[in-house]
Amino acid sequence: MFTKIGFEKTWQYIDLFKQGLICTVSLSALTVFFGFFLALLLAVMRMSDINIYRLLPRETQWSLRLKGGVVYALSRFNPVSFIASVYVEVFRATPMLVQLFIIYYVVFAPVSLPTFKLFGFIRFERFLPGVVALAMNSGAYLCEIIRAGIQSIDGGQAEAARSLGMNPMQNMRFVILPQAIKNILPAIANEFVTIIKESSICYTIGVQEIMYAVASTKGAIYRIGEPLIIATCVYFCLTFPTSKIIAYFEKKMSVGDHRNSGDSTRTRKRKSGFAGQGAQSAPMYEEVTK
Amino acid sequence: MSETLIKVKDLKKYYNRGAIKALDGISVDINCGDVMVVIGPSGSGKSTFLRSLNLLEEPTGGQIFFHGIDITKKKYKNAEGKPVKLNIDEHRQKMGMVFQHFNLFPHKTILENMTLAPIQVRHIPEAEAEEKAMKLLDRVGLADRADSYPIQLSGGQKQRIAIVRALMMEPEVMLFDEPTSALDPEMVGEVLEVMKELAHEGMTMVVVTHEMGFAREVGNRVLFMADGNLLEEGTPEELFGNPQHPRLQDFLSKVL
Repeated sequence: MFTKIGFEKTWQYIDLFKQGLICTVSLSALTVFFGFFLALLLAVMRMSDINIYRLLPRETQWSLRLKGGVVYALSRFNPVSFIASVYVEVFRATPMLVQLFIIYYVVFAPVSLPTFKLFGFIRFERFLPGVVALAMNSGAYLCEIIRAGIQSIDGGQAEAARSLGMNPMQNMRFVILPQAIKNILPAIANEFVTIIKESSICYTIGVQEIMYAVASTKGAIYRIGEPLIIATCVYFCLTFPTSKIIAYFEKKMSVGDHRNSGDSTRTRKRKSGFAGQGAQSAPMYEEVTK
Repeated sequence: MSETLIKVKDLKKYYNRGAIKALDGISVDINCGDVMVVIGPSGSGKSTFLRSLNLLEEPTGGQIFFHGIDITKKKYKNAEGKPVKLNIDEHRQKMGMVFQHFNLFPHKTILENMTLAPIQVRHIPEAEAEEKAMKLLDRVGLADRADSYPIQLSGGQKQRIAIVRALMMEPEVMLFDEPTSALDPEMVGEVLEVMKELAHEGMTMVVVTHEMGFAREVGNRVLFMADGNLLEEGTPEELFGNPQHPRLQDFLSKVL
């Protein structure tokens, strides 16, 4: 199966793996970047409230609502949300490989991309369609994660914010999003790790990432086991720290979740003596003030 | 007679195409300085009525005038008679609201909970907002909890914070939606105490509550609602001492 000779031979082609690593990292990073913005856009589209009903005067709205039926349903139809939903459903319901091939062989076929090499070896005309396909795919998944995160926040939070006079944007920015992001971090971390792993599929269109290095080495030394082991190690070294880093942020953001967090971890610039230790040592439940 | 602050005219809220009538034509005037207590059996539309006043619940009919402006419409005519788009956020700033389940922001400290809206909405400098918050916290005896998070507080403390958070916006009227219903019995007193103090300072208040003692002692007007209708209205003495409507007599015999 695995031999020492095999590993030694593979080691001669380690530069290919180094290149593959650089390629995988840049592929994943760009995918995460563009995928996230696409997901935000899609999530905003899906949760938008664009319809004819909104534009009607209140009296018409009331009578429509009381009547119900098809006219009411049509007036509430939101084309923007509909488009985003179709996009998300299509991308989640079809295989990644099919999407990649369609984008590379069909969508980008008539486009003549510049044929320069990134970092001196990554062929841009293959790399770009790879990024586009991965970003479009992960955008659909991330959109659902973001939407679920926002909708998971108790309705009372928005009511409290709105009753204090905050507009919908302020409510989103200061009240809903900080809580939603904390809730969805594990799912986002999962998605990032998935992107790193799924980027290996770009090997099929000739992007020189890690699996491409495996294939090249295999062709040169006629062995497959050892190159695969090396690839496994490289992938693990990439994904494991990624999930750990996000776990760190998750912990940092969970302040306010636990009764004994907060006071001691916060450093506020204020002169008054009650901050910090004093407050911490105060009893959890004080008696009623007279 | 003092000035009318909120005028509610024939307010309706129907669900399921009119099958459920949460509010079936409520008309009432709320004057400056009123402490109006709304009582009634559960499901009678008390909360819906209160939440309609700042449009958290969108009515399906009727009018609500706040300072003479109908806030259920999308536009109103300004002093020069020009139609202006109604900005509900502006009106909500003047109506403080306290919820049954407190709805403090769990990711922010008590102080941040209080200063967020004044800083972001009213653009008050941070230092000024914090100073004001500390004064209010001091008044409700919670100044030492300024840097705590809501989860570290008891229910009664949370509700007192919720009240002063609403007061930070300097509202003209405070709406209380069953503020003590989610509290342990021994914590009810501390919250009612704060509300009583507020009433004595002349704050206009609309309180939905099951605390009959509070209604009798602090309220100057009591509304009795049942099945989305306003059945009886009067001073606490009238309603509790000499109830007219059989539904009210029945209700009082059960709760008193």
